[in-house]
Amino acid sequence: MTDVSIKVTDLTLRFPVYGVDAKSLKKNLARVTVGGRLGASTTGATEVTALSHLNLNLRAGDRLGLIGHNGSGKTTLLRALSGAYEPDEGQIEVRGRIAALLDLSLGIDPSATGVDNIRLRGRIAGMSSKEIEDKMDEIAEFSGLGPFLAMPMKTYSAGMQARLAFAVATAVEADVLLMDEWISVGDADFQKLAHRRLLNLVERAGILVLSSHDAGLLRLYCNKVMRLEGGVASEVKDIRRLDELLAAA
Amino acid sequence: MESGQHMLRTGRRGTLFEFSMALRDLVTSYHRRGLAWSLAWHDVVSRYRGSILGPFWITISMGLMVLGIGLLYAKLFGISVAEFMPYVAMGIVFFGLMAGTINEGCDTFVQASSMLSQTSLPMFTFIWRTVLRNLINLAHHAVIIVAVIIFFGLWRVMDVLPALGGLLLTIVNLAWIAMLAAIASARFRDIPQFVMSVMQFAIFMTPVFWKPDAFPDRHAFLTLNPFYHMLTTIRAPLLGQEADGLSYIILAIMAVLGWALTFSVFAITRRRIVHFL
Ligand SMILES: Nc1ncnc2c1ncn2[C@@H]1O[C@H](COP(=O)(O)OP(=O)(O)OP(=O)(O)O)[C@@H](O)[C@H]1O
Ligand SMILES: [Mg+2]
Repeated sequence: MTDVSIKVTDLTLRFPVYGVDAKSLKKNLARVTVGGRLGASTTGATEVTALSHLNLNLRAGDRLGLIGHNGSGKTTLLRALSGAYEPDEGQIEVRGRIAALLDLSLGIDPSATGVDNIRLRGRIAGMSSKEIEDKMDEIAEFSGLGPFLAMPMKTYSAGMQARLAFAVATAVEADVLLMDEWISVGDADFQKLAHRRLLNLVERAGILVLSSHDAGLLRLYCNKVMRLEGGVASEVKDIRRLDELLAAA
Repeated sequence: MESGQHMLRTGRRGTLFEFSMALRDLVTSYHRRGLAWSLAWHDVVSRYRGSILGPFWITISMGLMVLGIGLLYAKLFGISVAEFMPYVAMGIVFFGLMAGTINEGCDTFVQASSMLSQTSLPMFTFIWRTVLRNLINLAHHAVIIVAVIIFFGLWRVMDVLPALGGLLLTIVNLAWIAMLAAIASARFRDIPQFVMSVMQFAIFMTPVFWKPDAFPDRHAFLTLNPFYHMLTTIRAPLLGQEADGLSYIILAIMAVLGWALTFSVFAITRRRIVHFL
């Protein structure tokens, strides 16, 4: 547990964009505040540099907040930490079981029943069939959906769908929790429950990385903060210096 | 090396490194084979949800085609139904496996794009998913095979072992073709249409509905058609005939070369596939 860590060294990540003419794009590049840096690769294809030369070291107990403009690379960094994107340069090393709460609808099949979706999503998140069956009751109870769990998810209201997705997504035991925006779903009652569950998860997880535009939230959950700007990261600072980073905009 | 507990991702470090990473993807997919199976099973169940007969609808339509073509062509070609019907039945069912796996192979990564861009699941998992899904379908259609075997008394003459050998070689080959199609389709969106045309063409160029008697043995028209070898190594033994040993050899060579090619392409493009989507 204590050797939970995230170590990112000199990470550069570029998105090749296929089927776009780089030259026609360059004309419109004057003064953009959003987005990564567009450029042409050596082969002439358009590329977006979403992250460049990023370094990051986190240890157990670190709860890092990510701030930055739209398109500054927050989601990209979280996906890279989840192992989905391969670095173009540099290295990412994560020790500990990762849970990425980036997209609640991941692996959800609307025509399948609630129970089937719990199984499917659990499998994708890396749980074994047995683990899922063991947790089934707990997940079902937390979702508060009762008999609806035997119905196809497409018959759920948006809030009900979110409840189920949230219940499964947060059922995994994780050491490293990645979140793109704090998830707030459901009605007031459920939000309170969800809040407590997330806090619990955050406490158990050794490391949290949370991207958010909400300074209040970041102050509440994080003890460190980092600012991304066009894919370039600031230093990791104590959360008490959040205003400084925000002002630097 | 790769486990739930430790994840390492790095920039390019030379070709050898890329191959070792590709191999790691393969090994991880093996460790998580239960997931591929769950996904494949889920695909079949969800596709036919709410339908009473489920995948058996395809079985029924195949069965009708077998009956119709079996009776009609037997008459047209002047062959006995007892000889022709089982021939066509196996032709249609096993060619269905080939066409299904290759056509669906094209969609493999495109369909999985949201999972691939948010998780570290191995890419091979999705190839196994496509292959397993088609094997599950085959298990349903096998009803037709069993029916003709019993009805026409083929169980007295058939030789199961070489047929299973042929099936195994066929699956190994289909898997690499599906993977190559999956990678190519992710990058070039015309590929699925192209593959579909090829498979439509192939069903008529391969002795599925007709007997290759008009050709001398080992005629190039047959020898150069990979689907002929796949089909004949499975079908001939089930019909109580002996498949040409050359067909097994060709399939084995094709499997080795095909996987070498596919694995190399995968090793080189692996990092980019998620960006193609
Ligand atoms: N799949 C993709 N293909 C090409 N470019 C991409 C892709 N995903 C992100 N980008 C680019 O990478 C840059 C960073 O995007 P990212 O989604 O990480 O931003 P973000 O900080 O999460 O923004 P937001 O606050 O809007 O969520 C942007 O310039 C975006 O255009
Ligand atoms: Mg984002």
